[in-house]
Amino acid sequence: MKIDLLSKVIELKSKKKEFSIITDLQTAKNYVYDPNCKLDKDLEDFKINIKESFTNRKDGMIKDTNLFIKNYYRPIQVVIVGAVHIAQYFVEFAKNLNIEINIIDPRGYFASEKRFPDTNIINQWPKDAFKKISLNERTALIALTHDPKIDDPAIQEALKRKCFYIGALGSKNTHKNRCERLKENGFKDDEIQKIFGPIGIKFGGRSAPEIALSIIFQLMTEIYRK
Amino acid sequence: MKNSFDEKILDEAHQWIQQKRNVVLATVIQTWGSSPRPIGSRMIINDKGDFSGSVSGGCVEGDVVRQSIELLSKPENFKKIEYKVSNESAWEVGLACGGEIAIFLEKIHY
Repeated sequence: MKIDLLSKVIELKSKKKEFSIITDLQTAKNYVYDPNCKLDKDLEDFKINIKESFTNRKDGMIKDTNLFIKNYYRPIQVVIVGAVHIAQYFVEFAKNLNIEINIIDPRGYFASEKRFPDTNIINQWPKDAFKKISLNERTALIALTHDPKIDDPAIQEALKRKCFYIGALGSKNTHKNRCERLKENGFKDDEIQKIFGPIGIKFGGRSAPEIALSIIFQLMTEIYRK
Repeated sequence: MKNSFDEKILDEAHQWIQQKRNVVLATVIQTWGSSPRPIGSRMIINDKGDFSGSVSGGCVEGDVVRQSIELLSKPENFKKIEYKVSNESAWEVGLACGGEIAIFLEKIHY
């Protein structure tokens, strides 16, 4: 692999692009495959098979060629509402996963840079924060304040935007009340049932890092669910 | 949804290059049977013998380091190596898990 190609790959990764590296195993020449860019002339003959491999997102040999493809994925977007103790551990544990985190908290004393160094924090109410970051089917929303004033508007937005994972902290009772409020706001039962509440896999741990871990495990399970 | 962990070894390889080290990139390109690390798994090796990442569960890394250092001393830019089931009674490198893997070694060069 040439150094300039290595630099390009690092740049694409930092820009959170979705792309592949294709290696010709007979020459060790590498190519970056970006579906939005023109394919290198050398690869023109294998265009259809390359496209198929990229769409299937499976690393390996490209059919009927000497080409090897390795895919790079855009990180999963996670929005955490509540710059609380659990969120600090979540950020710490998620460092080595392909996850990009945004934290929303209108309370300045929680949403401080000291508590969350090198993390994207939006010190605003969810309604205003969602003007800066938009939710979609590829976003996960994690509500951790268990204050309805802050959590509820965020959960409502997540339901509307069909986030693939919505989890909310709070006891069974808190969650029951939350569901009722959502119903009053016009959300249907089948939508509300998609919310993971109380959030996380139940394994007995109740400390902040343990709850953070249980949320990550539940989130990852949903990421890989077919 | 597809995902994978944030592979940082290419960034690390870049740092090694800046430190004037010679670097080899090793990639698992094929597997047969049970293999500890999936296709696409990567490892980097430099001329001091430092390595990062993995291509197996620790079974063949030592030999990959040795072969990479050897490759760095040669004019060729790449090499393909295969590992098969190990014979427990012999002092050889292999996969105790019973699988087979093919690894592609390539120099990172100007």
